[in-house]
Amino acid sequence: MPETHSVSTHFELPNIISILGKRFGGAKFPEYAPILENIFFSLLVGFILSFIAYRASRKHSLVPGRLQSGVELIVGFFDDFVCGIIGPQGRKFTPFIGTLFLYILAMNLLGLIPFMKSPTSSLSTTAALALCVFFYVQYTAIKENGPLGYIDHMMGRPRGIIAFTVFIPLLIFLIHLVSEVIRPLSLALRLRSNVWAEDALLTIATGFGFAGIPLAVFSMFLTILSSVIQAVVFCLLSTIYFTLAMPHEEH
Amino acid sequence: MDYKIALSICIPIGLAIAAFGSAIGLGKAVSAAMEATGRQPEASMKILVNMIAGCALIEALTIYALVLSFQLMAKI
Repeated sequence: MPETHSVSTHFELPNIISILGKRFGGAKFPEYAPILENIFFSLLVGFILSFIAYRASRKHSLVPGRLQSGVELIVGFFDDFVCGIIGPQGRKFTPFIGTLFLYILAMNLLGLIPFMKSPTSSLSTTAALALCVFFYVQYTAIKENGPLGYIDHMMGRPRGIIAFTVFIPLLIFLIHLVSEVIRPLSLALRLRSNVWAEDALLTIATGFGFAGIPLAVFSMFLTILSSVIQAVVFCLLSTIYFTLAMPHEEH
Repeated sequence: MDYKIALSICIPIGLAIAAFGSAIGLGKAVSAAMEATGRQPEASMKILVNMIAGCALIEALTIYALVLSFQLMAKI
């Protein structure tokens, strides 16, 4: 049954941690319940993905078996995707973007399995992922452009007479700074809001009992579609931020 | 006028305006994608990927409004 009181925002189905917590947890359990749930299910997804990757890469054979060729297909797809946007130098970002995509997709879809909860339905997980992307993009910008080139890039590359006025590059720097800070915020909020809305829809749809089965089936379809699309959009935007941070060649 | 009355009137109106704006934006995006596919049917997969990305960006704003309305509804 859904956990809805008169009007509340706490739409969640019971999962393993909350069931165990109600049986064995003390008085302080409800405080720590969200933290435990997110950490447990993120680690679970991490372990499962690492196990699959470990099994696929154990024996390199020239004629690959089924698992190895499946994983190679996925890795080749990510390589094409990232290098198609960044260019040939995007090879070094393929592991990061590929891992991000598989991790986010697995975490989003985990909510469909009974007694499990998507960790991405809480702002902590998505903010952590967005901050990883933000710091990696800034580090790449500083490494590729050099520290002086980084400040130059943030000021919009002033050339000519504009470089001598103090006011205009400073203004452009402030605007660019705001837009850089807004990016991880929008990434985190978009992913979290979509997954949380799916969870709330599933909770409401399954709360109607047998009469709500068509609605539940429809909402499961929406959940799968939305999970895949949100993972794709997160990775696409991260790749575009990497492209914008590298030095552009002017024709 | 109580704050509850004000909230009860304004939350659905705000959400409706967000949904209306997003419907117009998505309609323009999808219609442009359909037209581009009609001009060059071989590029339909690339156009589909770009259209989905654009739609997700537009949809994000509507979902911000939805989450805000849920938070406000708890305060009634």
